[in-house]
Amino acid sequence: MFYREAGQYKTSYAADMAVFPIRQDLIGVLLMLAVAYVAIPMFGSEFFLSSVMIPFLVFSLAAIGLNVLTGYTGLISLGTGAFMGVGAYACYKLTTIFPGVNIIVWIVVSGFFSALVGVLFGIPSLRIKGFYLAVATLAAQFFLQWCFVRIPWLYNYNASGAIEVAQRTLFDIPITGARATPETRYFVLLTIVVVLTWFASNLVHGRIGRAWMAVRDMDIAAELMGIKLLDTKLLAFAVSSFYAGVAGACMMFLWYGGGEASDAFNINQSFNILFMVIIGGLGSLIGSFFGAAFISTLPTVLKFGLPAIGIPLAGATAEHLTHIVVGGLIIFFLIVEPHGLARLWQIGKQKLRMWPFPY
Amino acid sequence: MRAPGDGHGTTAGEVLLAVEGVSLSFGGVKAITDVSFDIRKGEIRAIIGPNGAGKTSMLNVINGFYHPQQGRIAFKGETRKRMRPYVAASQGIARTFQNVALFKGMSTIDNIMAGRTLKMKTGFFWQCLRHGPALNEEIEHRKFVEEIIDFLEIQAIRKMPVGKLPYGLQKRVELGRALAMQPDLLLLDEPMAGMNLEEKEDMSRFIIDVNNQYGTTIALIEHDMGVVMDLSDRVVVLEYGRKIADGTPAEVSADQKVIDAYLGVPH
Amino acid sequence: MDILYKVLIDPFVQMGAAPDLLVQTVWEGLVSGVLYALIALGFVLIFKASGVFNFAQGIMVVFAGLTLVGFHEMGVPAILAVILTLGVMFLLAVSVERVVLRPLVNQPDIILFMATFGITYLLIGFGELIFGGNPKRMIAEELYLPTGSIEFQTLGGFVQLQKIDIAAAVIAAIMIAALAFFFQTTRIGRALRAVADSHKAALSVGISLNQIWVIVWFTAGIVALVTGIMWGARSDVSFALQVIALKALPVLILGGFTSVPGAIVGGLIIGIGEKIGEFYWGPLVGGGIESWLAYFIALGFLLFRPQGLFGEKIIERI
Repeated sequence: MFYREAGQYKTSYAADMAVFPIRQDLIGVLLMLAVAYVAIPMFGSEFFLSSVMIPFLVFSLAAIGLNVLTGYTGLISLGTGAFMGVGAYACYKLTTIFPGVNIIVWIVVSGFFSALVGVLFGIPSLRIKGFYLAVATLAAQFFLQWCFVRIPWLYNYNASGAIEVAQRTLFDIPITGARATPETRYFVLLTIVVVLTWFASNLVHGRIGRAWMAVRDMDIAAELMGIKLLDTKLLAFAVSSFYAGVAGACMMFLWYGGGEASDAFNINQSFNILFMVIIGGLGSLIGSFFGAAFISTLPTVLKFGLPAIGIPLAGATAEHLTHIVVGGLIIFFLIVEPHGLARLWQIGKQKLRMWPFPY
Repeated sequence: MRAPGDGHGTTAGEVLLAVEGVSLSFGGVKAITDVSFDIRKGEIRAIIGPNGAGKTSMLNVINGFYHPQQGRIAFKGETRKRMRPYVAASQGIARTFQNVALFKGMSTIDNIMAGRTLKMKTGFFWQCLRHGPALNEEIEHRKFVEEIIDFLEIQAIRKMPVGKLPYGLQKRVELGRALAMQPDLLLLDEPMAGMNLEEKEDMSRFIIDVNNQYGTTIALIEHDMGVVMDLSDRVVVLEYGRKIADGTPAEVSADQKVIDAYLGVPH
Repeated sequence: MDILYKVLIDPFVQMGAAPDLLVQTVWEGLVSGVLYALIALGFVLIFKASGVFNFAQGIMVVFAGLTLVGFHEMGVPAILAVILTLGVMFLLAVSVERVVLRPLVNQPDIILFMATFGITYLLIGFGELIFGGNPKRMIAEELYLPTGSIEFQTLGGFVQLQKIDIAAAVIAAIMIAALAFFFQTTRIGRALRAVADSHKAALSVGISLNQIWVIVWFTAGIVALVTGIMWGARSDVSFALQVIALKALPVLILGGFTSVPGAIVGGLIIGIGEKIGEFYWGPLVGGGIESWLAYFIALGFLLFRPQGLFGEKIIERI
């Protein structure tokens, strides 16, 4: 009843082309931003912020990145984890060499390094397609993972072989390191995610997004229409890896606060993010958020939720159960709705528009 | 939009595209053998022939998707031997496909807008912001696309995903996407295949209108002889990859070799 | 110049200086190549018959191995345990067909590919839940597999061959021959090849797709069990194998997704290539290049021959 476009007439193409053509959608997004910026930090506990919201936001960013590549451009990548790693290590090196520059700048800039590496490994995509390309991205995954371990320069020759996050401040408030509060880290991360999501939304709704989707849906026709395949694909690789890189830097600096980097960026991480994109919905930005929310909170929910309702669970069992649940849900979702949570969301909105009529 | 050209029925225009002695083979299979013909500015040129005569391969050669082993192609007076499809498109060759090759996951508008890609220039930075030049450009091209949508009478399906449209409409959207490129030469690969009579009449009307209103030169492959005879100014006939006849519809339909090719020769 | 010498000349000098080491390295590569080839074979069977890129083949190997050891730990005699495990693999094939493939028929390839990810996770979860996450020892002696090694006095040194490796190669060869015989001569084999060519055409002449799918997935299950036994006998049965099983992917790229001979030759090339690469060039960059060399070999190869070793050149049509 509250969600319909009746009475909202479009008088210009600009209005018709808006990302949120229905006013209620815009209000909804503003409301969500308000919740994210005001309500959650106000009412959420530290545990909620650092164990639920921060992982969720980091994974959302990575999922958006992979969605650009796989969902919008139709190129499967199994190397997202490694591209995240490139971002994390680039950020680490940059802030070590230039400690004076603000860390937020470096987090964003590290995305460009990741983009560069992504483009490099995307070059084979001109000649190879589909599953073959997936294997090519595995080359990136394993090679980069090897670099993270074997090139001590990357981790500043630390004895632990891990990234050690030093304290960095903004207006004298620590935003990374041990003394940064979950609230500050959350605000910084949230802002990065909001801005980058806005960019991604603009990209996919414009010329570039159309070129990506054209390549995905019918590459030969796209080529014959004058869309340069290699350029388009490489741009998708660059943008995708940029997002992954920023997500990786955020993961290390705003979430983990340092640690076993080679574990965080392994092949399983790549798969994880792929699942988020599939379950959320290929070719949907909002779906990336749904997928990230789902997969990143599931282990936490199983680990803390089940004992809370009286089902005792050993730590390892929770992990095994997560595997089973995730596996089962992937199959379930693919069968029920191959287009993921995003499509369910759309159907829901459609029903709401028609309500109380079924059609 | 461009000023209307000299329109339907003119055959005296200058040569827009010349195919000279083109041969194409895949491994040992010869698809096209030493074919030459030309397409003049403003005309509707039909390419006909039995199945497997090499018609689609010919179109593929013209827009740079296949590279012939022998022969040359001159477009707008510029001769080329090998070129990328991208170059053909940017020089003004657009086409539709035998089996509809739309972007199935995109809406009608987005499909036709995609045809404007070559004409859109704003850079990555503005695309990220979708304000200023990028937005203006988007609106400007949207206006052009809306004109095509009006022209093809597909206003009602503007925002539908094309994968869900019936076949006839998909063919129409595909024509719209090609028109969005404002081509000088439009290649239509069986634009009426699988259509019923009414849809065929509609499509014929659009083709004539495109030719009349925009002066677009058209080369089309079609199996329906009635349509070919009515629409085209000149016809080239292929059989087993060779040219067997070339001329006005009346000349061609009287040609003994063409009659043999279509009806078979008694042995 | 020094670096060029180290990369381009020195490794070959070493090869010439100690031919016995070279033979030993090639043999090691051959053996892991056989195992890669076996996993790739499972992939190819399923891909040919159902167009599904079965990501779960690696975990099926682990799962089959764990089940076998699990049954034996429960006190079941080894041979009976093998038969019971085959039963489990059959049940797995039936349930995959019922629960996953049948509802997803006619979906795009990528959806089916993703579904096999789901199967992978389910199998990992169940495997860990039932058998625990710890590596297990394969019951090699109980299955009458040879142990110990043979040493050859040759080429100015000696070459050592593990008997189990020889057995693995022989068994793999026998199995491949049996499969080839099965597919070439039996009615089911013919139906299977028909399905591989075209699902729709096969359906139209009355071949039951569902039945064929169960058969291929079961066959892939048998291949998985054999692979699991062989691999387990060399090291242990553990989930770590799953990542190693990914090496079957570059093998597939080399051999082509639909070619059984391709899988075998590809497996051997990858196996030998990465062992030689690791042994002679690995030390130059600190070692461990085995983890990615296979992918780069495949990638380099792909750039020159996108259709694989045995694939036919694809003519794109529109």
